[in-house]
Amino acid sequence: MSIIREHTQTTLSDAWRTIDIDALDPDSAPNFDTSTLHPPQPEITEAEVRQLTTQVRQLLRGGDAEGALRGCLDMPVYNGSDGVKEMAMGLVVEVLQSIKASEMVPVLRGVGEGVGGGERVDVLMKYLYKGMAAASSSSGASSAPRTPTRVTPQQTGFSQMGPRPGASAESTGAAMSVLLSWHEKAVEVAGLGCIGRVMTDWRKV
Amino acid sequence: MSQSLRPYLQAVRSSLTAALCLSNFASQTAERHNVPEVEARTSPEVLLTPLTIARNENERVLIEPSINSIRISIKIKQADEIEHILVHKFTRFLTQRAESFFILRRKPIKGYDISFLITNFHTEEMLKHKLVDFIIQFMEEVDKEISEMKLFLNARARFVAESFLTPFD
Amino acid sequence: MAAPEVHHLFHNPIADHSFSADHSTLAIARDTTVELYGRAGSAFKLQDELKGHDKTVTSIDIAPNSGRIVSCSQDRNALVWEPTPQGYKPTLVLLRINRAATFVRWSPSETKFAVGSGDRLIAVCYFEPENDWWVSKHLKKPIRSTVTTLAWHPNSVLLAAGSTDAHARVFSSFIKGVDPRPDPTAWGERLPFNTVCGEYMNNSAGWVHSVAFSPSGDALAFAAHDSSITVVYPSAPDQPPRAVVSVNTQLLPFMSLIWNGEAEIIAAGYDCEAFRFRGSVDGWELSSAVAAKGREGHGDQREESALNMFKQMDLKGKVKDDTQLKTVHQNTVTMIRPYEHSNGVVRKFSSSGVDGRIVIWTV
Repeated sequence: MSIIREHTQTTLSDAWRTIDIDALDPDSAPNFDTSTLHPPQPEITEAEVRQLTTQVRQLLRGGDAEGALRGCLDMPVYNGSDGVKEMAMGLVVEVLQSIKASEMVPVLRGVGEGVGGGERVDVLMKYLYKGMAAASSSSGASSAPRTPTRVTPQQTGFSQMGPRPGASAESTGAAMSVLLSWHEKAVEVAGLGCIGRVMTDWRKV
Repeated sequence: MSQSLRPYLQAVRSSLTAALCLSNFASQTAERHNVPEVEARTSPEVLLTPLTIARNENERVLIEPSINSIRISIKIKQADEIEHILVHKFTRFLTQRAESFFILRRKPIKGYDISFLITNFHTEEMLKHKLVDFIIQFMEEVDKEISEMKLFLNARARFVAESFLTPFD
Repeated sequence: MAAPEVHHLFHNPIADHSFSADHSTLAIARDTTVELYGRAGSAFKLQDELKGHDKTVTSIDIAPNSGRIVSCSQDRNALVWEPTPQGYKPTLVLLRINRAATFVRWSPSETKFAVGSGDRLIAVCYFEPENDWWVSKHLKKPIRSTVTTLAWHPNSVLLAAGSTDAHARVFSSFIKGVDPRPDPTAWGERLPFNTVCGEYMNNSAGWVHSVAFSPSGDALAFAAHDSSITVVYPSAPDQPPRAVVSVNTQLLPFMSLIWNGEAEIIAAGYDCEAFRFRGSVDGWELSSAVAAKGREGHGDQREESALNMFKQMDLKGKVKDDTQLKTVHQNTVTMIRPYEHSNGVVRKFSSSGVDGRIVIWTV
């Protein structure tokens, strides 16, 4: 009896039993260094993105949408602060929104031609997925109180008064539909391999 | 099918087809084990970048691919509290019967209503394009189902109110 | 082009297949057993089952001259099956690994074989006559993840490996007393064991599914999970390569590739069919699929009668039956191997798939 108690007490106090020793071994599988999965990328600063923004806007004003898109996609922000990545993302969305639906395929084909053309479409695909992820995660924060499985009656109860939660979705819905139609066209032009490369690539925008 | 639903489902379809390239892969961390890497998460290099496809802030799909398994999580549209309850009840009904659905995960991941886990053993046994069709069809049907249930619920509530709670003249 | 020869053996995945040199025996890795099929007329009939593994058999190889079969499995073991008059006799190999064995290939000299593993190493195995068993030496550095594929250089010393850390590497597996001193090649001159002669990765970093040396051994091709194939032309030992050509395709990833001469590569994978790539040191491109799509030859496209249509609607709730793919293989192609070849030029090649089919294609 006493032996059993002693035994359980020692094991309970022995916190070492729960230590994940793999985490302490630098050579273990969970500690794989994922930075070895891509070549080092040059860091892109805010000033560079600003400069790109003015150039791209100039091209857009001049009606050269293809050139503008090409400009954005030739300088993907793989290595930069979150703010810089957001700016680049915003710029790409701005260019995408300014292009009419009927011009999408010709523009994409134009962008996909020449040296590094395939790479540019891959980069566009990365931006499209990032755009969709960003929109849904930001909304995830605002609608967080709604997500718990228990419905709290304090909120709105069952009344249909006040703004419907779906109402704010309309604006993001419009932005999403632009990204979705670009996604469809990009798959049309660059195939499924393009999506595969978004998944495998560790250089993230 | 509504106009904006089509590109959404199309994007999910192409992303799923590209992500469902699975192979038999034994665990690198546990001896003689073969586990879905997307659930075990012990080897970062065999996990791929997760993809999100969103239609609007209330409807989105998350695809988390890995070398031998992928996890698909769906956030179903919930425009109001009734739909929220209906979706919860509906997905609960399904997940409680998860073993009959093979690819259904018993618990949805956080922020989503329902999750599927497809491993290489599923793609070996079943046709890949049919698995994709199954997910797409589920997404198409679930919205319809929920709104039908809501209509039915409202109609019944109205009927109950009219027949039982009729005020005195 | 002759129609492909299709053998539907069963409804399980075939992880790997290998033909004996005279094509009379076909060895197949099916679940935990190795099945041997013999040719009976135009079909293959099950002749023998080699049971010795207790987990999924991942890879199998028949040595063309000696007829020895080597198999490896996720149970961490490799077995050499020696043909004897009483049947095949297994010998356990001292691999000294404690994760799954993933891939095995005999060297062209047949005195060694290499086993890739999830233990992040390659075991190069050779026979020790004094102890009468197969022992191994480990190639360890700088592999950081599961080795998925291996390929031997014609000189039986250089070994190419691909792994899930997205790198394809060329190692020396020179073992004193087993190998004669190799002639210097573009990959290296002096080659002690575990010399890393090259380490390559492409930009979008997919897991490497397949590697292959060209027939001359002077170029290396690898297929990765980013739907690309990459061809590396080395220049001289310890120099950066002469050219690294990467082709990003629009298709799904390739699982296996073989060279056909020095200017053509055949690759197959998740698209369930084989594709041809053509090129040289100046550049490569996807040229065409090996077989034309559509199954006219199979008599499937018969006239749809009204009765048939209603039957389909009744049974399946739709008019068209789309459960079949247009390709010959109905699921991922796991492995392709040369079937008939001379001087590096492939006339026929065989493919095995997750759908349990073995197909012999005419190039």
